[in-house]
Amino acid sequence: MFGKNGRNQWLENESQYAIHQDVNAGQLKGALLKDIQRSAFVYRVDCGGCNGCEIEIFAAITPIFDAERFGIKVVSSPRHADILLYTGAVTRSMRVPALRAYHAAPEPKICVAYGACGCSGGIFHDLYCVWGGADQILPIDVYIPGCPPTPSATIYGFAMALGLLGQKLKTSYHIQGEDERVQPRHPEIPLALRIDVEREARRMAGYWHGKKISDAFLDLLKAGDPHQVEQNIQSYLIQEDDPRLAEIFARFLEIYRVRQGEV
Amino acid sequence: MLKLFREVLKVGESTVLYPFVPAEVMAGFRGRPHHDPELCIACAACAIACPSNALTMETDLDQGIQSWSIFYGRCIYCARCEEVCPTRAIILSQEFELAVMNKADLFERADYQLLACRQCGVFFAPVKELEYVLALLKQSGLSVEDLAARRTLLEICPECKRKLDIPKLVSLYQEAV
Repeated sequence: MFGKNGRNQWLENESQYAIHQDVNAGQLKGALLKDIQRSAFVYRVDCGGCNGCEIEIFAAITPIFDAERFGIKVVSSPRHADILLYTGAVTRSMRVPALRAYHAAPEPKICVAYGACGCSGGIFHDLYCVWGGADQILPIDVYIPGCPPTPSATIYGFAMALGLLGQKLKTSYHIQGEDERVQPRHPEIPLALRIDVEREARRMAGYWHGKKISDAFLDLLKAGDPHQVEQNIQSYLIQEDDPRLAEIFARFLEIYRVRQGEV
Repeated sequence: MLKLFREVLKVGESTVLYPFVPAEVMAGFRGRPHHDPELCIACAACAIACPSNALTMETDLDQGIQSWSIFYGRCIYCARCEEVCPTRAIILSQEFELAVMNKADLFERADYQLLACRQCGVFFAPVKELEYVLALLKQSGLSVEDLAARRTLLEICPECKRKLDIPKLVSLYQEAV
């Protein structure tokens, strides 16, 4: 992705078929956004998505999230639209319909790439039959990543498109410092015990939950004194009140006792 | 009708106040993967696990740099990177406000130094990863002399290790014959 010159090729390599925004339209859009005092109508263009994004868009206009209180309304024709919402990875056959919707919407219009697929092609980015994101074929103003974006993220994205809220995400570039070193976790616990506990946790609860559970257990072992440790574990289990956790901790305790016996 | 109004009054307003107040996020929500570059050992486990290639690793052997990068626009928030990370450098945070105007803000990058082989001088492994391995060996109870011997061995690239093994193998073979 970073070439010899260290520049981001994913950002710079643009499809040769991309169309660009007219300069006058850009100025018009800027003027509109500065002083928008009316509703913004949204037309949703599904360019081959999985419908997850559509479900979240419709969740955003339900009474719970109620995007319509900000005047954001989903309309059924691009001719009524101010905002075009592109979801899906843009399949080959959806390119022309997407362009037709773009040209049908009156200027000034805001184009939003919605969801991981709309922003970049998402998990489908390298398929032969997709363009890999709406920005490959259209000028995009706002990117709303997420798979799918939650209704709150959708509302945030709209508010940003209309210039009501600011952008929070900023790019970052870290370069390794001189003495940057990583120390193993739980240095006070014998390595063999930690490995046994973590392995058992993965076996019983999977990688993601196993990590959290084994970390909680190893934190409780820090007390040192075996009697105190067992007491702490009992009170932790009562506090969590989860029979599955109790079962896993019982296995950990067996391992702990065996290892304790060896010492 | 009155019954309905009574019900409506009883239920009250169900619309959430977001964006005027921070949104309530459920425990276990998988938001933006937060990468702590100081904790990262550049082992590339996350880049291998990432199903959508949002996380990528690139090796520059000329300059001896391993660069880690994430493209949030492509991330599907599956937490596979969090699962495989051995040092807890990546943790999925509760952040969901990721919309950007500028696509460049969806990228993050971290560069790590590579270690040059003692024998041939070719870059072959991240310095931080090697130091982490040595720290683990130290924790497992290796003596100082053993650690020093391991360090010499680990600082040689696989290619050179193979070359160094040839004379040993030849002598073993000659002994056997």
